[in-house]
Amino acid sequence: MEEEIKTIVRIEGVTKVFNGGYAALDGIDLEIQNGEFISLVGQSGAGKSTLLKLIYAEEMPTEGKVYFNEKDLSEISRRKLPYHRRNIGTVFQDFKLLPQKTAYENVAYALEVCGAPKEDILEDVPQILDIVGLGEKMHKFPRELSGGEQQKVVLARALIHKPLMIVADEPTGNLDPVSSVEIVQLLLKINNLGTTVILASHDRDIVNKAAKRVIVLEKGKVICDDAKGKYKIC
Amino acid sequence: MTQRENIKFVKINLSKKNMFLVIARTFRGGMNNFWRNGWLSVAAVSVLVLSLYIIGVMLVVTVTTNGILKNIQEKVNISVYFKPDVSEDRINQIKVQLEESTEVKSAEFVSKEKALEDFKRNNANEPVIMQSLEEIGGNPLLSSLVIKANEPSQYETISSFVSGDSFKEDVSRVNYGKNKEIINKLNGIISEIKRIGLVLVAVFSAIAILIIFNTIRIAIYTHKQEIEVMRLVGSSNMFIRLPFIFEGVVYGIVASLVSMLLLFVTLKFLSPYLTRVIPTENLLSFYFSRFGILILIQTAFGVFLGVVSSVIAVRKYLRI
Repeated sequence: MEEEIKTIVRIEGVTKVFNGGYAALDGIDLEIQNGEFISLVGQSGAGKSTLLKLIYAEEMPTEGKVYFNEKDLSEISRRKLPYHRRNIGTVFQDFKLLPQKTAYENVAYALEVCGAPKEDILEDVPQILDIVGLGEKMHKFPRELSGGEQQKVVLARALIHKPLMIVADEPTGNLDPVSSVEIVQLLLKINNLGTTVILASHDRDIVNKAAKRVIVLEKGKVICDDAKGKYKIC
Repeated sequence: MTQRENIKFVKINLSKKNMFLVIARTFRGGMNNFWRNGWLSVAAVSVLVLSLYIIGVMLVVTVTTNGILKNIQEKVNISVYFKPDVSEDRINQIKVQLEESTEVKSAEFVSKEKALEDFKRNNANEPVIMQSLEEIGGNPLLSSLVIKANEPSQYETISSFVSGDSFKEDVSRVNYGKNKEIINKLNGIISEIKRIGLVLVAVFSAIAILIIFNTIRIAIYTHKQEIEVMRLVGSSNMFIRLPFIFEGVVYGIVASLVSMLLLFVTLKFLSPYLTRVIPTENLLSFYFSRFGILILIQTAFGVFLGVVSSVIAVRKYLRI
């Protein structure tokens, strides 16, 4: 494992107010260490997604600072933003696969945009699809795959360029219980291999299964932060 | 742990850009979009074809009309008749003087002998006229200069020039008065047709641009989520934009080819009718003699529209 555990995400006094004055996040302070597995829980509208968006720089905070690997995200120029995002693999409830590309092409795309050489793509993409259990179906289009299978493709895509961190926003929201467990097991496995994982979920079983640090958000505030946690409403 | 050792993860130099790789990959992406979006591509190309076709037809109509008008213009002239005692030398002197002025395109000398000859030939079937000509005896006709202007609007100036004081001793009469009405009418028609043609081309081009622009925007709107996904996996803006631009280029090229084919069919069908009305015009030979420039204009226009609308539409979702 990593010799030196360092802070991968540091959030300092972050407030996010959307147009219309709605405050999604209100004075958040948070540190995430490299290699941690974090379950982010809270009701819909508590600010989970917004918090995650700040990390992969889809949104910028109204107040406060977000540091990734000790780098202030507000100082990254728009041109350099894609490079930041390549450090983070993202997984979503609605999968966000490219519908016109096969499973293989979807995963390969994440490597292509980085300028990876063809030989590496040909070698690594089938390997990673094998690991998530989709080696047989890699030339199918998303519409030909079940929800659980699509989410596995998404995980493969998130992992392919070996990101420092996986951000999963309700990854099991659209899945049946069996697929949900599979996905969480995959996330735990990924975490075991050293990648930091943030899992936002309001699924009690999923969070309890993980049994890792639990952060509870309510109305834009952190109300609980347990190192060895269970799903709860504080 | 074992699994991690199994995978040789790619080591990527993020700062190094391989432009060739980017272009090859985005080009392939654009082609894939074009084929895999089947109906959307058909819709976008059809609209583009229609617009290019209309513009092509307008182009041919404008050029042909101009040709016809030029033809008619060629036949318009004014004649200056000289008094019987004016010598040929003097007339030649005036001819040279006229030819030096900017308005005059040509001035042709017609001697009274030639005028008589022409008159006899033209009226050979009119016994009454021929008989009266014989009764008069000799040659009643005058020598003249037949003047053509560069522009129909210049006849007025030329006419007042030759009717002026400097030629009072020489000139018997100028037939401008007689031709004045027809020349003015022609003048009006020409400028009217030119104006209408220009307005029509402008209006149709504007409509075409708007329709194409919106069609391609809608086509890209369906890619809205894809663009979001591309950004999330760390695509640079260029890498997102290029496939759409290539797609726009393909739209333009395919549309211009189809439109040229349609134009050919239309002209082949219409050509015999036009040739019957105006024997000097042949639409098909026009099409082939200008094939290069026609296809160039159409392709340039199509590709330009395709690319510009793609760039603007993608721009919206890139949040630049």
